[in-house]
Amino acid sequence: MKIKTLIVDDEELARSILREYLKSYPDMEVTGEFADGFSALKAIRELKPDLVFLDVQMPKLNGFEMLELLDDMPGIIFTTAYDQYALKAFEINAVDYLLKPFSEERFREAVEKVSGRLQSDSKAGFAGLKEHIEKTAGIISRVVVRTKGEIRVIPAPEIIFIEAQDDYVMIYTNSGKFLKQKTLKHFEEHLSRDDFIRVHRSYIIRTDQMIRLEPYGKNSWIAVLKGSYKVQVSRSGYTLLKDVLDI
Amino acid sequence: MHPILLNRYNLTIYTLAWIFILTIQAGVLVLYFGLELKPALADSIVFNTIFFVMGLLIWYPLRYIPLSDRNSITVFLNFLALGILVVVVWMSSGFLIMRQLFRGDEALISSIVASVPYRIISGSLLYIMLLLVYYLAVYSRNLKERIQNESKAQTMIKEAELNMLRSQLNPHFLFNSLNSASALTLSNPGAAREMIVKLSEFLRYSLKLAEKEFNILKDEIENIIRYLDIEKVRFGNKMSFEIDFPDDCESYPVPNMILQPLFENALKHGVYESTGPIAIKMKCRRENDLLAVTITNNYDSESPPRPGTGIGMKNIRERLRLIYGREDLMLSRKDDGIFIVNLFIPYHEDKDVDS
Repeated sequence: MKIKTLIVDDEELARSILREYLKSYPDMEVTGEFADGFSALKAIRELKPDLVFLDVQMPKLNGFEMLELLDDMPGIIFTTAYDQYALKAFEINAVDYLLKPFSEERFREAVEKVSGRLQSDSKAGFAGLKEHIEKTAGIISRVVVRTKGEIRVIPAPEIIFIEAQDDYVMIYTNSGKFLKQKTLKHFEEHLSRDDFIRVHRSYIIRTDQMIRLEPYGKNSWIAVLKGSYKVQVSRSGYTLLKDVLDI
Repeated sequence: MHPILLNRYNLTIYTLAWIFILTIQAGVLVLYFGLELKPALADSIVFNTIFFVMGLLIWYPLRYIPLSDRNSITVFLNFLALGILVVVVWMSSGFLIMRQLFRGDEALISSIVASVPYRIISGSLLYIMLLLVYYLAVYSRNLKERIQNESKAQTMIKEAELNMLRSQLNPHFLFNSLNSASALTLSNPGAAREMIVKLSEFLRYSLKLAEKEFNILKDEIENIIRYLDIEKVRFGNKMSFEIDFPDDCESYPVPNMILQPLFENALKHGVYESTGPIAIKMKCRRENDLLAVTITNNYDSESPPRPGTGIGMKNIRERLRLIYGREDLMLSRKDDGIFIVNLFIPYHEDKDVDS
């Protein structure tokens, strides 16, 4: 059986070199080429490829954001010019990656390693990848969510607040609320600390979305946010707010 | 801040100086004018204490008589008026206190009246000395501040240079371009060679820059075209550019690499983040003693913002401020899916511009 392969890169020349190198592998079949994260995501779901050459930097949805939204991970070989966070994630996880520009020899190594792993059907290498990418990621400026088969990219400035709900969080924005399978801790660590504050065990708010702060009983406050949302603020949350807002 | 009240040390020196003057005056009154010790001491203590306080107070009106005022006659008249006021207030209040203390001692009172001319002279001299002390303090403080500001400006220039260098060696740009060249060697070796030559020229231009601060617009634009040509090879029809500059702008001096980050932004926020075609346009014209440059690009308004927005713009604004001392030389706005930057570059003569 042939290995179904996808090429995802926003530059035609970068795709062409992969295509060219792949010509010497008769058991690998390129079933599609895509130039942005959205169309690649759709194609991976529909075509269920065995292997994807994935660029990290792409318009709309970058390679990592795209992976976040996938349920079944295919084999992945990342291709990137330079990305310090990415490299760290790759190295920890022993996933193969190609640093552009790469030689045909280096390409062969990567393909052999990954296709060997595909045949032995151990995708163990990919299982932890999502987590590692999350951990090593820097500050995120947007969040991708899936709603009723639709993908939405929420820019960080549009978030009003985030509420913890068991293993999920609910992200509240002007245009509705969105469920995301992530912990509140993840957002606390990866959203910019200049703009977001964890004001309570269950809440992170965006400070410029706050209208006022009202006292509410002893050692407790209520933050009134845009969209007339009200969020509880704990003692420690109040201290953080005071520091950031300079009050 | 009051230079004397600034710290305890200065105040102590000031007080000791007055005690010294007071002692001298009492001595003179006893030895030369034949006064008894008690009235001589009282006279010295009263008059010098008053001057001690007034000397501290005159700082406040003095602050409003800056020496840098171009009209030196105004400055002089201000000093004179303040001096007359000080001497008159000093003598009359001293006289009133002495008359209260030595009521009935007509001989002493009349001797004080008789000493008015001496007192005018000594009061004026003391006043002038105080003026000198204050202006010396102000001068040395300004000097310190200026030295500090200068070193701060130097640091900022160095930082701007570093940022520039970093953007020229932007690893994304460099490695992706090399990757394109590598791909072209398979399909179109001629184009690959051209790409490598352009990339080399672009890098060489950047390296040469460290030597001078200004460049003529024509050279800068040629380098920008090299940059855009390289990016065009990467992105093909997804990107187009149009640069329009009249002949009278060609040799206009501009700070080196001041425009480059604006084109990098157009790529970063336009081309890199869009799936549709992006057009980058630049126009320039002479406006009195300014060069007005407009750079526009469309962008995908649905695409979420990319991190790092605004750093490049901030650096340009900072450089313009350091070079021309003006904050209003760059404007930017978004208008219906188009990002527009207006840059105004004042004419700068006597700069080491190569032509």
